[in-house]
Amino acid sequence: MFDVFRRNRPLLVAVLLVALIVFWMSNRYEPKVTANILLSGLTLGALYFLVAAGLSLIFGLMDVLNFAHGLMFMLGAYFGYTVYANPRIILNTLPLMLALGGGAMAGAAPASWVWARLGAAQNKRGALIVVWLLAGALTLAGIWRFDLQSLAANAATVAGGAIATGQAQEAAGALAARLGLLSGAGLALGLALRSREFGPGRSMARNAALGIGLVVLAFAIVPARISGEAFILGLSNNLRFVLALAVGALGGAAIGALTEVGLIRPLYSRPIYQVLLTLGLVYVGTEFIKGVWGPVGYYMDIPDYFNTRGGDCPSPNLLLWFRDHCGSIDVLGRPFPSYRLFIIFLGVAVFIAVAALLRYTRLGMIIRAGVQDREMVQALGINVQWVFTLVFALGTGLAALGGVAAAPFIGVNPGIGQDFLLQSFISVVIGGMGSYPGAAIGTLLVGLARAFGDQLVLSGVQFPGMETAVKLSPSIARASTVLIMAVVLLLRPAGLFGKKE
Amino acid sequence: MTDLLRVENIHTFIGQFHILEGVSLSVPAGSITALLGRNGAGKTTTLRSIIGLLSPRAGRIMLDGREIQGRPAYDIAALGIGYVPEHRAVFRDLTVEENLKIAERRKGDLDRRSDLIFDLFPDLKRFIRLPGGQLSGGQQQMLSIARVLVADNRLLLIDEPSEGLAPVIVENIIEALRRLSDHTTVLLVEQNFRMAAQLADRYYILDDGQSVQSGQMAELARDGALVAKYLGAG
Ligand SMILES: Nc1ncnc2c1ncn2[C@@H]1O[C@H](COP(=O)(O)OP(=O)(O)O)[C@@H](O)[C@H]1O
Ligand SMILES: [Mg+2]
Repeated sequence: MFDVFRRNRPLLVAVLLVALIVFWMSNRYEPKVTANILLSGLTLGALYFLVAAGLSLIFGLMDVLNFAHGLMFMLGAYFGYTVYANPRIILNTLPLMLALGGGAMAGAAPASWVWARLGAAQNKRGALIVVWLLAGALTLAGIWRFDLQSLAANAATVAGGAIATGQAQEAAGALAARLGLLSGAGLALGLALRSREFGPGRSMARNAALGIGLVVLAFAIVPARISGEAFILGLSNNLRFVLALAVGALGGAAIGALTEVGLIRPLYSRPIYQVLLTLGLVYVGTEFIKGVWGPVGYYMDIPDYFNTRGGDCPSPNLLLWFRDHCGSIDVLGRPFPSYRLFIIFLGVAVFIAVAALLRYTRLGMIIRAGVQDREMVQALGINVQWVFTLVFALGTGLAALGGVAAAPFIGVNPGIGQDFLLQSFISVVIGGMGSYPGAAIGTLLVGLARAFGDQLVLSGVQFPGMETAVKLSPSIARASTVLIMAVVLLLRPAGLFGKKE
Repeated sequence: MTDLLRVENIHTFIGQFHILEGVSLSVPAGSITALLGRNGAGKTTTLRSIIGLLSPRAGRIMLDGREIQGRPAYDIAALGIGYVPEHRAVFRDLTVEENLKIAERRKGDLDRRSDLIFDLFPDLKRFIRLPGGQLSGGQQQMLSIARVLVADNRLLLIDEPSEGLAPVIVENIIEALRRLSDHTTVLLVEQNFRMAAQLADRYYILDDGQSVQSGQMAELARDGALVAKYLGAG
C-alpha cells in the first residue's frame, strides 16, 4: 500500500489534496451537508471527466489542443435531445449525411486506381478541378432550400409528446432526389480526395461495398420516416434516453472522425493552424446550433427510471432504490437526486472501460506507445493515422456522451460547451497533459472544488472576528479551480502526473 | 550478389536545411554493410530517409528493385524493414513483453520468434514484465534490437548500437549481431570503428551529407590514412 505511494508521489499529492478539502468541509458542515457536497462534486467531476478523457488522450497522442471538444459535448447534448424529443430532424437529415458519406467512401475506394490511369499531370489537374466543381455543385443542389428550421420548430413546443407528423417534412420523392444528388456529390468528393489510404486490393472492395451500403441505407430510411418517428416516440422515456445516449455518442464520434480526417489531418505539420482551426470550429458549430435549434435552451426530462415520486420516496438506501426508482435517495438524512448518482456511475464506468482498453488491447498498447513516440510506432509498420482518427472519434464520442448525460441535469443550450471545456482543460492541466489517470484525478479535484465553492457562495464565509458571513460572488466558485491549477503548476510544472519531455 | 537495398543519389531536407546532398549506397542481400562517418555527417538522416520518416526530395530508394521513397513509414516498414534508432527509443511505459508484442505484424509473430529472441537476449526473458524504462541502457539496446526481430524483416537498419554502453555489453551486442547476420541483411551505422570492423563485410563513408568512399571493410581497416581523414582518430 505505502509502496504504491512511494513510487507514485503525484498520487500521494492528489490524495492529500482531496483529503484536505474533505477534512475542511467536514469541520465546517454537518455530515449530511458534507456528503451532499461530495456527491455533487463527484457528479460534476464525472461530467468533466467525460470531456477531459478525450481532451487528454488527443493531446497526448497527437499534440492537438482540441478547443472544439466543448462543442462536441454540446452537439452530443443536442443530438441526444433531438432523438429523445423530436426524432424527425434526425430521420430527415441522417439520410442526407449517409448519402454524402457513403458516396465519398465508394468514390474514394477506386480513386488511386482511376487517377493512376489518367496519364499526364496536366490531364490530372484539369480533371481534379472538374471533379471538385462537380462535388460542390451537386452538394449545393442536394441541400438547396432544405427547410431545417421548420423541422426543428416543433422541438420546443411538444418535447416528448406526439407531433403532427405530416408537417414540415418533405415528400419522399423530393428527399430521394436530394439523396441522388448528394450520393453523386459524395462520389466526386471521394475521387477528388484520392486518399492514399484506399489503395487497390481487398480494402478497396470492402470500402466500396461499405459506401454503397450506406447509400442504400439512406434511401431505405426515406419511406420509413413516419413509422420510425412514431416508433421512437412510442417508446418509454427510459428507452428513448438509452437511444439518446447511443445516438449522441455515435454522432459525436462520427463528427470527430470527420473533423480529424478532413480538417486536422492536413495540418499536422502546422500545429498553430490546427489550434486556430479548432477555435474556428467552435464559432461555426455554435452558430450552426443556434441556426438549427434556436438560441434558447431546452430541458430534457429525467428518465422515469430515475424519477419516481410519492410512495416510499425518497428511497432510504440504494437497495430499496432499485425497487422503487425514486427521484432521490436519502444520504445521511438529506435527499440526493438519483439521476446524479447515475452520472457518477457513468463516469466511473467509462473510466474503467477506457482504462481497460488502454491496458489490455492492442489498440490501447499502440496508443500508450504513440503518446511517448509516434515516429517509432510508425517505423514498426503501424499506420498511426488511423489510430489518430480512432482516438479522435473515441474522445469526441465520450464528450458527446457526457453532453447527453448532462442534458437532464443542466439542460441543453448553446452555452454549455464553453464552461465544460474550460473546467475540463483546467482538470487536464492539473492532472498533467496526456496522462489518462491524471485526467481522472484532475476532474475529481476540479469537481470537488466547484461543488465546495458553490457551497461557500451559498453560505458565505465567516472570517475570524467577524459578526456576519461575507457573501461571495458565484464567480469565486469558478475561480477556485484556477487557483488549484496555479498551485499545482507552481509545485509541479508538468501537472500531477505529467512527464517532462 | 544481388542488392537488397539500393539508395541512388538522394537529397533530403530537414526544414529548409539541405542535409543529404547526394547519398548513394547499396546493400547486398545477406551481408552486413557499415555506414561510417563523423558526427553530423548525415548517417542518421540517411537511415531515416530509407525507413520513410524523412522523405527525400530527389533520388531513388529501391528495395528489391521496387521504388519505396516517398511512401509513408508504416508502409515501408511493412515491406520488411526493421529500424533500430539512435538512443534505442524503447517504449518506457510498456513492459518488455508489450514492447515486443507491438512489433507484431501478424498474430503470433512473437510466439514464433521468442526462441530466437530469448536465446540471443536471455535478460529480456528475465525482465519480461518490467517497464522498458526501468531496464539498463544495454538491456534497452537489446530490447530495441529484439523488437525488429519479432516480425519478418528482410533488412535491419541499426543506428549506433554501441553508443554509451560498457565494453562488456558491447561485446554481447556484437555477438548477437554476428549471429543475426546469418538470417538477415543489416545496414549498420557505427562510430565504434572496431565494432564495425569486426562485423561488416563492406563499408560506405559519408561526409557532409555525401557518400565519399566505399569498399571492402578489410581494406579500410588496413588504411589508416583514410580512417583518419574521414573518421577522426578511430
Ligand atoms: N532537426 C534538425 N534540424 C536541423 N538540422 C538537423 C536536424 N537533425 C539533424 N540535423 C543536421 O543534419 C546533419 C546530419 O545529422 P545526422 O544525420 O544526425 O548525423 P549523424 O547521424 O551522421 O551524426 C547534422 O549537421 C545535423 O546538425
Ligand atoms: Mg546519428
